[in-house]
Amino acid sequence: MSDKHSKDEHGHRPPAPMVDEVSDFEVLEMAVRELAIEKGLFSAEDHRRWTEYVHTLGPLPAARLVAKAWLDPEYKKLAVTDGVKASLDVGVDWINSPPTNFGTPSDYCNLRVLEDTPKVKHVVVCTLCSCYPRPILGQSPEWYRTPNYRRRLVRWPRQVLAEFGLQLPPDVDIRVADSNQKTRYIVLPVRPAGTEGWTEDQLAEIVTRDCLIGVAVPKPGVTANAKRPVHPAVHPVQHGH
Amino acid sequence: MTNPEKQDHGAGMIRQEPELSPISLLEAIRRHGRVWGDLAAQYGVTNPDPPWKVNLEATCDALSAEACALPLLERRAEEDELSASLYSEVPFPERQLLALAHSMIIRGLVDEEELGRRMKEIYRRLTSV
Amino acid sequence: MSTSKHDRTHHAKKATGKGDPQCFRGEAGPPKFRVGDRVRIKDLPDIFYTRCQVYTRGALGTVAALVYESPAAEDEAWDNTDKPEWFYSVRFQQKELWPDYPDLYANDSVETEFSERWLEKA
Repeated sequence: MSDKHSKDEHGHRPPAPMVDEVSDFEVLEMAVRELAIEKGLFSAEDHRRWTEYVHTLGPLPAARLVAKAWLDPEYKKLAVTDGVKASLDVGVDWINSPPTNFGTPSDYCNLRVLEDTPKVKHVVVCTLCSCYPRPILGQSPEWYRTPNYRRRLVRWPRQVLAEFGLQLPPDVDIRVADSNQKTRYIVLPVRPAGTEGWTEDQLAEIVTRDCLIGVAVPKPGVTANAKRPVHPAVHPVQHGH
Repeated sequence: MTNPEKQDHGAGMIRQEPELSPISLLEAIRRHGRVWGDLAAQYGVTNPDPPWKVNLEATCDALSAEACALPLLERRAEEDELSASLYSEVPFPERQLLALAHSMIIRGLVDEEELGRRMKEIYRRLTSV
Repeated sequence: MSTSKHDRTHHAKKATGKGDPQCFRGEAGPPKFRVGDRVRIKDLPDIFYTRCQVYTRGALGTVAALVYESPAAEDEAWDNTDKPEWFYSVRFQQKELWPDYPDLYANDSVETEFSERWLEKA
């Protein structure tokens, strides 16, 4: 945090820094929302419920699902055979927690957990539009949504994974899962060496969002997603295919 | 992500479908709007996302689920097109916001002029004491 | 493409508390294919809307799982939800999809889902 942690003479911490100006984008977002509500496209109440729901979403439940599966072979079996049921144990109710109480067009309710082995590495994509298991993993990262990732991962998985810093030997099979219908996927990576005796919390900490998508593998000491500098592609995908 | 095929025009014009022509209001915002990356850096705020991002996501959800006015697949396909052309230099999530506004305007869900008027009113509201 | 208020309520009534695709369980009848079946993806005409990727058309794969019952995406887009089909997760060898895929990685694969109408026995 860049705010000063020192306290003033009364023992009060100065307030955290805030952006002290109004940006056009902030104003545009409000204008779009207000007009949409006035025109009846959705109600203010609908929007409030969705905002509250979106606020609850993040990658921690999926990380905990993996950590629990690593610690409990029975739970791992459940996770692999019934992802929706296993999600309940990490506080995620695919069916009832979205405001619609049946999931949403973008968050259908069939979660499948893909189990990696030392010889099989899974990685997830949605080539059609970037569907993502939001209820258990939160919002997708920008790179996941780009045509660059979506079209190239199925075609050149090893090259794309290498761009993410993940190089796998030829004796490891890569399985790309393309979530083109109602199934949403997360990857259950192999538990790395060096984590013997770890608690569920410690294990969950190294299962990052990128590990759950499949473009990274968990490593002791690595608790954040790698930064993804965005460069123009040397051979970019052609649009309007 | 730029498309070299589309870049390769001597006059610097972008080839595009008629319905993805620039919209003046959004072009003005694109040119002059301050993106979160710059604002956060200037004010020393470490949040990676602007506070309105959650609201934007909820709006997209509500439009798709409640209204069916702008189903997900349509919005995303157009967002991809716009992200490759008109808004290719705009970072995320500002790009998604511009694409959403663009998609809504060309479908007649909101009108460009009333959006501009509403923005002025909101700006007055937010900057008056 | 917007749906009428009536259709919106219908889906909500059917799916609330049950989830989608769960709410279609038991409606598709007996599945035509089983795990392990070799199948080919048909190249059905898809003028309006489809979720069957172009890169899979005509390809040979293996049924990896029967995943759920649901109206086909092509019907659901037009609110024809009367005839759910079985959905299958089909695995393709990368070499089958892309002939120039390196032999060194012969076991690499892609897995993706299809409603029954898209599959024929190979």
